[in-house]
Amino acid sequence: MSFEGEPNHGTNLDPSTLSFESLWSRRRIIASYWLVVLLAVPLWWKATSIDRLSLPENRVRGLSGKEISFPLRIHLDSSAVSHSVSEIADAVTKVLSDDLKEGGSGLAVSVTSSDLEEHKGYSVKLLQDGSKNVVRGRDLLLSTPNHESEQFGQSSTRRLADVMRALVAPPQALVSGSAQQAVKYASRYRLAFTLLNQDSASGNAALSWDIQSSIHRYLKPTLEKLSVLHNFTIESQVQLHAPLAFDPTIVTHNNSQSFGLTPEDLTVFVNSAEWTLSSSVSNDPVLHFVVFVPSLLNNPLYILDKKNAVTNSNAFILPQWGGIVVLNSPKEHLSIDDLHSTFGIFESQLHALLAVPTLPADVTSDEIGPFTDWQLDALVRRRTRENFGDSRETLESIILLVNQISNMPVGQDVKGDVQDALSALDQASLSFLRNLESW
Amino acid sequence: MLADDAACNSRNKFPGCVYPNAGRGIDLYGDNIEVDYRGYEVTVENFIRVLTGRMEPSVPRSKRLLTDDRSNIFVYMTGHGGNEFLKFQDNEEISAFDIADAFEQMWQKKRYNEIFFMIDTCQANTMYSKFYSPNILATGSSRIHENSYSYENDNDIGVAVIDSYTHHVLQFMEGINKTSQASMQELFDTYDFDKIHSHPGVRSDLFGRDLKQALITDFFGGVSRAEVTPPLFHVESPQSPPQFDDPHQEVPAEPVHPPDQTTPELLTPYELFVSQKQLSDRDARRSLRAWLAIGILVGLVGFVGSKRTR
Repeated sequence: MSFEGEPNHGTNLDPSTLSFESLWSRRRIIASYWLVVLLAVPLWWKATSIDRLSLPENRVRGLSGKEISFPLRIHLDSSAVSHSVSEIADAVTKVLSDDLKEGGSGLAVSVTSSDLEEHKGYSVKLLQDGSKNVVRGRDLLLSTPNHESEQFGQSSTRRLADVMRALVAPPQALVSGSAQQAVKYASRYRLAFTLLNQDSASGNAALSWDIQSSIHRYLKPTLEKLSVLHNFTIESQVQLHAPLAFDPTIVTHNNSQSFGLTPEDLTVFVNSAEWTLSSSVSNDPVLHFVVFVPSLLNNPLYILDKKNAVTNSNAFILPQWGGIVVLNSPKEHLSIDDLHSTFGIFESQLHALLAVPTLPADVTSDEIGPFTDWQLDALVRRRTRENFGDSRETLESIILLVNQISNMPVGQDVKGDVQDALSALDQASLSFLRNLESW
Repeated sequence: MLADDAACNSRNKFPGCVYPNAGRGIDLYGDNIEVDYRGYEVTVENFIRVLTGRMEPSVPRSKRLLTDDRSNIFVYMTGHGGNEFLKFQDNEEISAFDIADAFEQMWQKKRYNEIFFMIDTCQANTMYSKFYSPNILATGSSRIHENSYSYENDNDIGVAVIDSYTHHVLQFMEGINKTSQASMQELFDTYDFDKIHSHPGVRSDLFGRDLKQALITDFFGGVSRAEVTPPLFHVESPQSPPQFDDPHQEVPAEPVHPPDQTTPELLTPYELFVSQKQLSDRDARRSLRAWLAIGILVGLVGFVGSKRTR
């Protein structure tokens, strides 16, 4: 075979004799293409499939409706009252557990009489003198009116149960002004203290403050007591110029011209566009505490009520955000003593923001500390219950989400986190039971 | 998130300023606009990460949406878009399904109390048609198969400066101050085809409240509740704290800054949201695949070459 129009150079090349034209080679070349395709199939399959590990759905479902429960043992000492201790204890237990069942607080209270061995839990001591009810540590000294000492009737049981209930499971009213004031639980908070001068050039300004020693003196006990729940990071700053975004209302107070913040003004008081109140170095939630010094033009500045009348308060809370104190005509340097009332307010605001319950009205504390162990324990129980519920809901919604969005990958990290969360929840519910046994 | 930094563009005759009309009345860029994501950082992935909160631990606070189940969120989007998609940059789109799924993830993760979603693009109302999570109020500039038009040209700059719909909303918002009691219903009642040249839509079936009760300031203006702390050292009953209906809120708004939009484009398939983990896995797989392919190729070439020399 030769190509037309081309000269023949000696030997005729037969294509079938060329090595790469042989039938065998051709077949192998074609086969190798298919081989590549076939070999690539598992690789392609692996690379394009979504990694969806199975989550422990049954364990999560098992959690639904489960609430954490806190068995409490309260030890009753009624030697001062001439009545059978165990009878009182039984009666109070019954009333209390009926009450608490309605509240859904997960508490299982048992009141026991004094004859038990050494205890570490709560104790309630009935006294016969008519003085006030006093809390000290985890002890409660409860006074009973004299005429009741002979017969410990139903009304006394009721009263005893009410006080104890308010201590172990504080009703919403005692927690803070409104349910929404308290921040969500976080293990770490930043507390940002700011001395904010509206306009220091106007002449009415505080230029420095003893912030470190004030925090140490006024807030340290609270922070230390709360350290079982939260870790606090503190920062502070002084700002010399911080304009308001609105003009305060002019009012007459004590026959002189003053300025007022109406309730509407309070809601937009924080000029978030122009004030830098905290550094953004971490993602921890921030609680702001601001001392606001009005400029000479707006001095004195009062907080007004709805009828534009001056109130006797100089502070307000922005729920979940922080507290603000208005300080009229301050000294140029605020010493520890000058800051006494300011930090008193900050402390109460901190309590409200962190949901520390207050004592019931007819109970006082004779401790030096900021609040008693009854309150701390109630707070810990409340936060534990909230966190337990939140984690349960989060786990349930992860399962829901994964089932709902079929393209969502579920990697080993997600699976591991879910398993860790489940075992942490199991541990939490167990540890409260174990605590009881150790008492 | 600003993909196109018009204020600082060298072709902007008014550096550092963005004006919503040819009269140059208000400077939208202002003094205190914070741009957290700019230029090529504005991607679909980053947007969805911001919403869902799936971030690297190293991402700073300003680039996160730190909200919880008490936060109200306002999401405003604009750009070129079409039936159930909105373009990001020149190479990717976000689809209505992506946003709907992202919002659902936010709801399940308790990242919002209420969302107010506003979108200004061609066929904008299709973008909120796929939502299925509760407490979302959505509004868009135009119906399906309908264009959104720009409002006017600024001859000094040589481009259209604002869209009709956004211009209309801006006009309304300029009349609202922080203590205003105006409701969402009042905003929606001002929608008018003659002014906007398209039919804006509202979707409120997922929204739990009556629109007459939902205040504009529930989503704008950073208005919070305030409760007066009773004085400490006076023995008197604390006065009842003032109550306001506004819930606590956070307003991470995408700044109003729209280019003009015109042509609708084809719907692209649903984009997958990939988690960080999968990304790195995918990279590894990709390189593995590449090396394997190269290996096989080299093997084949060697095989053919050796045959040839024989």
